[in-house]
This record gives sequence, C-alpha cells and structure tokens, in this order.
Amino acid sequence: MKRTVIPFGPQHPVLPEPIVLDLILEDERVVDAVPTIGYIHRGLEMMVERVEYTEMGFVVERICGICSFMHGMGYCLSLETIMNVEVPDRAKWLRLIWAEISRIQSHLLWLGLGADAFGFENLFMHCWRMREEILDIFEKTTGGRVIHSVNRIGGVKRDVSDAELAAILVRLEELGKAFKKTASVFATDPSIAHRLVGVGVLSPEDALSTASVGPMARASGLATDTRLGGANLYDQIDFQPVVETAGDCLARVAVRLREVEQSIGIIRQAIDKMPKGEGLPLENRPRGNPAGEAFTRLEQPRGEVVYYVKANGTKYLERFRARTPTFANIPAMIQLVKGCELADVPNIILTIDPCISCTER
Amino acid sequence: MDRTTFLARIEEYHMGGWRLALINATSAMSTEEQPGGSFDVVWAFVKDNAFEYLREEIVPGDEVPSISASFPAAFLYENEIRELFGINVTGLNVDLGGQLYKTAKKIPFSPSAIRARLEANAAAGIASASPTPPAGPHGAAHAASSPAPTSAPTAGKTA
Amino acid sequence: MSMFSRSPWILHYDGSSCNGCDIEVLACLTPLYDVERFGVVNTGNPKHADIFLVTGSVNERNIDIIQNLYGQMPDPKVVVAVGACACSGGIFARAYNIQGGIDKVIPVDVYVPGCAARPESIIDGVVQGIAALEEKRKKRAS
Repeated sequence: MKRTVIPFGPQHPVLPEPIVLDLILEDERVVDAVPTIGYIHRGLEMMVERVEYTEMGFVVERICGICSFMHGMGYCLSLETIMNVEVPDRAKWLRLIWAEISRIQSHLLWLGLGADAFGFENLFMHCWRMREEILDIFEKTTGGRVIHSVNRIGGVKRDVSDAELAAILVRLEELGKAFKKTASVFATDPSIAHRLVGVGVLSPEDALSTASVGPMARASGLATDTRLGGANLYDQIDFQPVVETAGDCLARVAVRLREVEQSIGIIRQAIDKMPKGEGLPLENRPRGNPAGEAFTRLEQPRGEVVYYVKANGTKYLERFRARTPTFANIPAMIQLVKGCELADVPNIILTIDPCISCTER
Repeated sequence: MDRTTFLARIEEYHMGGWRLALINATSAMSTEEQPGGSFDVVWAFVKDNAFEYLREEIVPGDEVPSISASFPAAFLYENEIRELFGINVTGLNVDLGGQLYKTAKKIPFSPSAIRARLEANAAAGIASASPTPPAGPHGAAHAASSPAPTSAPTAGKTA
Repeated sequence: MSMFSRSPWILHYDGSSCNGCDIEVLACLTPLYDVERFGVVNTGNPKHADIFLVTGSVNERNIDIIQNLYGQMPDPKVVVAVGACACSGGIFARAYNIQGGIDKVIPVDVYVPGCAARPESIIDGVVQGIAALEEKRKKRAS
C-alpha cells in the first residue's frame, strides 16, 4: 500500500498554536505520527540565570496565558516550601478560589475550541461568551484578563472584599444556569456524537502506560486528581474526582463539562468557609535567599503539573523546571492518532486540550 | 550508576502500578573533582497521592539506560534530556534523533553551555548568576534533608 | 469611507507567545468584541489573507515559518505585531532561544503593545492595519 506523509502544522486552522505531527498514512488511515515541538521553545527555564528569584514568578506566569494563575501559584508554593513560609489563611483561600475560576475559564475556552474543531461554530461562540463573564471576574479581582500577577512568594498581592466575593458567587450561579443549556447541547446533539463517540478510545491500561494526567486520564476511568492529596486546603473541600469510563473523545468532553459545574461548587464551599473580614493578613514575605529544593504538584485544568525548584542560597535559582500536563499527555495523543482516520486527527488532538506553550516553555 | 539495580528499581515501580510523573535533569557546574560538571537526574513516580523519586548523579559521557521498556511514555523526557542536556540515554523506544526541540544552540542546558553563557554575561556586565556557584552541599546529598514536596504526602527517596 | 471599504481577512500565527495574546486574538472574534461585524474574518489560509497578525517573538525555529507565511500572502499585505513579545521580545527577550521582535524577520506595519494585549487594542491595531492596507493599495494603483 502506498504510504503518504502529511505534515500536520505548525500552522493549521484548528491549532491556535504551532506543533508539528508528521502523519504517516496508508490511504486515509494514520499508521504513525512523529511529533516535533520547539516552535515556541523560549528557554524560559534557563532564565533563572538572569532573573532573580523574586521576579522569576512573573516569568513563570507567562509559561502559558491560560493557566497563568496556576503557574504563578505553583512557583510561589515551591519557594514557600524551600523558605519555610507560612501563607496566611485568607491568601490560601483566595488562591484556591482563583485556581478554580481558572479551571472554569480554561474548560470553557477548550469547549469552545473543541466545538470549533468539529465544526460547531455556534457552540464555540456560546462557550466564549460565557468565558468573558469569568474574565470579567478576573479583571475585577486581579486587574488582568489573562495575566494576573497576584501571586507573591508568601501570599497574594490583593484582597477581594467579602461583598465582591458574594457578587462573584451570584454571577457564577447565573453562569451555571446558562452553562447547563450549553452542556446539554454537547451531551445530546447527534452531530456531535457522530464526530466524537468511539473516536480516539484510550483504555485505562493505556492511560496509565502513556502516563496521562488530568481529564485525559479521568475520561479513561482513572480517578487521578492531584487535589485529592488535600494540599492547598482541598482537604477542607467536599468533592469527588469527575470520572468517565468510555475513554473516547466525547468522554473527554463530558469530564470537562462536569468539572465546570464541580468548580462552581468548590468556589461556593470556599467562599463559605474562608475567614471573613477586612484587612486580614495576605502575605508573609520571606527574607534572605532560598537554599534547598522542592517538588510541587498541582492539578491544573489540563491535569497534574510538577514544578521542581532548586536554589543554592544566592538570589538566582539553580534550576526551575515545570513538567506541564500537556507534555505528559503527548505520548497518549500519539498513541491515539495511530490507527485513526485522517479526518479525526483534529478532534483527537483537540481533546487532549493541548497547550503548546506550556509543553515547550 | 549501577545499571542493573537501577533498572530493577524502575521495574518495581512499573509492577507496582506507578505512573511516570517526571524525568528531570539539573546541571551542576564544574568542580575540582568534576571538571566537566555533572547532572543530577531524577526519575519521579506517582501512585494515588504518593510521590517518589529515584536520583542519580551522572557525569557527562556516562551511559544512562532508557526506562522506556517499563514506561513507554519516558521517550519524551529521555529525548528531551538528551537534546537539551546532552545526556547519553541509550535504548530508547522512540528515538527522535535530536529533532524534538531543534534549538539553535546545541545542548543549551549542559554545564559547559551554562558556564559559557554566564561568563559571557559577566564579561559584558550583564547581571546574572555567578559562573562559580557557592560551595556547599546543594546537590543530591542535600536533598534528603530538604522539606517534603507541598502538594501531596510524599516519600522522597534518594537512590 | 475608506477605512471599512474592504473587509480584511486575517491570518494569525503564534510565534512563541505564551498563549495570552493568542486567546485575546480569538476573543476578538467572539460575541463580546465580535470583529466580524466589521467584516474581519480569521482565515487559516495565508493565500486568502490581507493582514498577518503575529503574536509572540521570533526564535530560531519559527523564522522560516513566519517568512514562509508572509511570502505566501498576496500583495498588498500588512503585518500587525500583537503584544510585547511580538514588538520586542518582551519579558522573554532575555531567554537564550529568543531572537527578538517580529520585525527582525519581516517588516511590521502596526505594533500593538500590552502583555497580554487587550482585545480593544488588538482591534485598534487591526483598524490601523486596514488604513495601512488602503495606503499600500493606493500606492500600487498609482
């Protein structure tokens, strides 16, 4: 049979970001895929050579504009561990709330892009209209729509008043109602089912052997969620990881649909439980330079992220490393692409929720 | 490194149902004992909420066996440390042959490349880290006493 | 009215941005900002495009891609550099793999500042791009 090589990317209508997969085809069927990344490789990790640890957080936030808040938070958590800083309670709760708002933002963004990839532009528009609500909340509370810069080593930079928090909750409830309608379209529309059901099936065994994380693993029946570890106040929140068992593209959509509602519930609990009042302490700024190392794990919208920070007692860190969820999900993506039809490749790539700037740093 | 014990430990993680979380390398600058610098390589695994890692100190040129027989997803990390750090990983299941990142400057994260950059910065008067790091145990020996990772109850292990 | 006399089609390419500007470019297309009401359409095909929106800075790897895409666009064409990274390298100017702003590789007509650039300023940049396009067209006709 004749083999054809089709380069997918770096510039492709479904990809907002550049990645290249050389797809090796036999007729319409993909038999192999070779990834090439590096189009967005900035060498950000090596900027620790020239950027002091106090400022590096602002660089780390710009690993990715979608999970910007969580990247900043992970960096600060790592240095707080190394420098033994206790973060004030209210700051911890605010971080948790912002982290969950980020998750809603990211999932709505992805649901839109996913809808666009299977040709449902109307749904794309609806998802992004709802996302603007979330960005509004971000802008009101942090000052930025996509890059927030509210995390500091030792706490957060801004407080959100109790009245503002109550208003956020009202907005999220409204959003939740609107979202239910959109979610039902994803779940029931026959044309969506036609494109996604049974496409790109990842078995639980393969999910483990390809080391998948996040919604990708949860859609294949693995109940992995870093938040279950209980760190960063998640032990005070009542929640269950969202797990689907089908392992196909629709299951990955379903996980994210349910996680949006879950996150709204988590934010509701958090606002309920956090210490109230004006003028509560927000940060404990550490003194001196860090020495030591730390691994930090967080559950980002795309899955588990691992940060490694090594400091040697000077103001420049020795090593900063972020292993982002998309990087961990690439082996699974390659496995899924093998054996599928060429027309399904965009949907499969989209359902891992690729974030290339995270992957390459 | 002891190849047989290392691979046996890796296989234990595999049989135990652990997920590969990270393979990370850190360049250590040259010292009197190691004029070419060295690498501190960590293989980290996650199971439920436990996080453990194996750690090896690698000298440039040392052969590091691929763990892709036990953990197929390791190929991405292994290609990465080979391409960015120049660590000699052998026996990969998927060999991307230096085509993963294709950085303009070859092996940009190696001790010699870092040293060259820092020395150039110093010569040009650009503020940057010192090419001669402060003495003291900040490498593997230090790790055992370092605080536990934040996000999960963990059992950091050093090999 | 010359400014909206034509409906420019836009080609977006992400140089090595953090995604922040990219999602803001996409946000411009969605209901709140909705540039399609001006006839602006985001196309994936360089041969259909009038305005080249580039986010992110130039690294060794994407020089060819950017030049290639620019070369495939029909004349007259306008380049809009969106965000601090596309203008000058931004916060990543100090990273070892970054060469600098987009103007190191292709001529840039409009610079849109911001990290990340706000949708309002991106739309403003595109509108200025339309004016630049109009001028180039006139020059070519004369």
